[in-house]
Amino acid sequence: MAGNEHDHEKTTIEGGPLERWTRGVITEPEKRNRLYRALFYVATGFFLVTTLFPFYWLLVLAVTPNSQILQGDWEISIGVLPFDIPLPTPQEFNVYAFVEVFQEIPFHLYVFNSFVLATVTTIIVLMIASLAGYVFGRLEFPGRGPLMLAVLMISYFPPAAFLIPLFDAFLGNAVVVPFLGIELFEAPRLVNTPGSMIMPFSALFLPLAIFILTTFYAQIPDGLEDAARVEGTTRLGALFRVIMPLSAPGVATAAVLTFIAVYNEYFFSSIMALGNEPHQWSPLVGGILSYQDQYTTEFNLMAAASIVGVIPVVIIVVVAQEKIVSGLTAGALKE
Amino acid sequence: MARVTLDNVTKRYNDVVAVDDMNLEIEDGEFICLVGPSGCGKSTTMETVAGLTKPTSGTIHIGDTEVTNLPPKDRGVAMVFQNIALFPHMDVYDNISFGLRLRDFDTDEIDRRVEEAAEVVQLQGMLDRMPDELSGGQQQRVAIARAIVREPAVFLMDEPLANLDAKLRVHMRTELQRLHKQLDTTIIYVTHDQAEAMTMSDRIAVVNDGQLQQIDPPLVCYNEPANLFVAGFIGSPSMNFVEGELTTDGLETEYFDLEFDVDDLDAAPGDTVTMGIRPEDIYPATQAESLATASSTVDATSDVLEPMGDEIFVYLALDDANEETMSDEGASRASNQLLMSVDPDSRIEADDAVSVAFDRSKLHLFDTASGEAITHGVEAEPSAKRASATAEADSGGQHE
Repeated sequence: MAGNEHDHEKTTIEGGPLERWTRGVITEPEKRNRLYRALFYVATGFFLVTTLFPFYWLLVLAVTPNSQILQGDWEISIGVLPFDIPLPTPQEFNVYAFVEVFQEIPFHLYVFNSFVLATVTTIIVLMIASLAGYVFGRLEFPGRGPLMLAVLMISYFPPAAFLIPLFDAFLGNAVVVPFLGIELFEAPRLVNTPGSMIMPFSALFLPLAIFILTTFYAQIPDGLEDAARVEGTTRLGALFRVIMPLSAPGVATAAVLTFIAVYNEYFFSSIMALGNEPHQWSPLVGGILSYQDQYTTEFNLMAAASIVGVIPVVIIVVVAQEKIVSGLTAGALKE
Repeated sequence: MARVTLDNVTKRYNDVVAVDDMNLEIEDGEFICLVGPSGCGKSTTMETVAGLTKPTSGTIHIGDTEVTNLPPKDRGVAMVFQNIALFPHMDVYDNISFGLRLRDFDTDEIDRRVEEAAEVVQLQGMLDRMPDELSGGQQQRVAIARAIVREPAVFLMDEPLANLDAKLRVHMRTELQRLHKQLDTTIIYVTHDQAEAMTMSDRIAVVNDGQLQQIDPPLVCYNEPANLFVAGFIGSPSMNFVEGELTTDGLETEYFDLEFDVDDLDAAPGDTVTMGIRPEDIYPATQAESLATASSTVDATSDVLEPMGDEIFVYLALDDANEETMSDEGASRASNQLLMSVDPDSRIEADDAVSVAFDRSKLHLFDTASGEAITHGVEAEPSAKRASATAEADSGGQHE
């Protein structure tokens, strides 16, 4: 027996270093765990660097004075390496840029515009998507499949396809019967108002919210809704008092996605706001772009403004994340 | 408190008839059980009373109000669900007071009522817990408290004990009975467990295939089942059924003949009938001699013995053929088998030849084709010498 074991050990030791290491990982749990841990750190490190590096770059640009950005020395030498590598490092530490952002233009008004647009759109989307999600997720009715498919199809349309007709409509041109020239009615002029942006945004982001909420609402046991209705709510009351609170993670997800998408939106709002001015409801990105004029581009201010603009979203995500987590742990849906 | 009346209530789902022309009259303060196998329409019946589903046709009254088209919240009913259905995001207090808060009661009144309800179901001191911190039985009590706190006219309970373990179920059964005595409210209780139905209810409504089979007090359902379904469904272990033909002087089956008076029966000789006898109404011939209403004896072989402690179930084979132990009909045993329950100190062994007699007064006859009961208990043949007329009268052979 002992001899046999010895033989066996000999064969394991044989083979190249890679083979020995592989066999070790397969047979020894400790080595395997070490490998898994190492892989975990490598993967996490990779994702952290790729997501946070642009943000770091932004920060470096913001604190570097504009003149230094174009002429500065962006290469650094790292110890043993025989050559310099390009890596953005702060050339100077000019925190004043974050104040200048608001002095140059009323940037806070642009942030406010985007914030209002995003908030109102999110509320509208959540209200309508909740009703739609309830109907699609909890009721049986003929034509549910085709209707759901129609919503899906519309969500695949490129938003730009709606732009020209919407712009025409929002300009307030009279609606005319083709060829006859009979004026039907005069549409309200909505360009430069939040209405011209909130309406298309709500329509564009509804399908996604409907899908998220449909899946979440469908999972709430029928018994809870029945209980609420027997206890004294209407179907709508049960939706808002029982089904929505229990679907908090889904509602939070839909809300955060919609909010961020609208907050960052530029394409529609840059066109619906005829000029890049805050009183025309030009959004956050419009504000950032107005640090650039015909002759100069103030990169440091654009970078600083970008960072300022991100802060509200960061706050909201952190808050919502807490909600999502608490919703997941408190959800005692054991049925 | 109110009467509940269902008139010709029918509920169809596409092609499936879940409830078929149901007529029920439930008295004020009555505890009524709807029993039946799974999918027989008893839960649907209850949902139509609660207002969670609208009947396809028919009307429902609670008290003097027609509620057929009222939403659940306006019907004055409270319901306890099989899956308990506590709102997981609210604590016990909020769960119990949910209905009161919706009805804009003032805070003091809500406090008082919640305290009272918690006291009835013995939940004091747990009002600030979340549902997932409670045991199954406590959750069920919260659900009951939530129902009683609104002082509803009618209580609906949809298999409220089905998700509890066996011991707790028996305990909650007595609690519910106590509660009924205390509240004196109309209770409609759905269950597939006939032990619950037998022990708790004032009347049992047996439902099958969406149709009401019989509605009577538990013991009437047990002793005088209206048809084959009720006979087979009520009672555990279920009744023995043997098919046979009625003759001028009794019953002729494939395995044995019985003699009794057929003159007063609502069936003619030559009719195909099914004889039903409960396991506890079959006696070994030696014991049967002391029984005034014993029938003639039947020879059989004991097959399998199931000692239960307080009694022994003896499976009797009526012929030598290899029995198929399962039959296709609802009955749990083959047509050539009889189940007899005997005293635990009885000395019957497996494969003994056993001669048994039936208690004639507990013998049921059903029309095989329609399933309707013909009689419960038969009289001895007038010419029979064994039974004395006085003993007959004492034991009360019941004719329908």
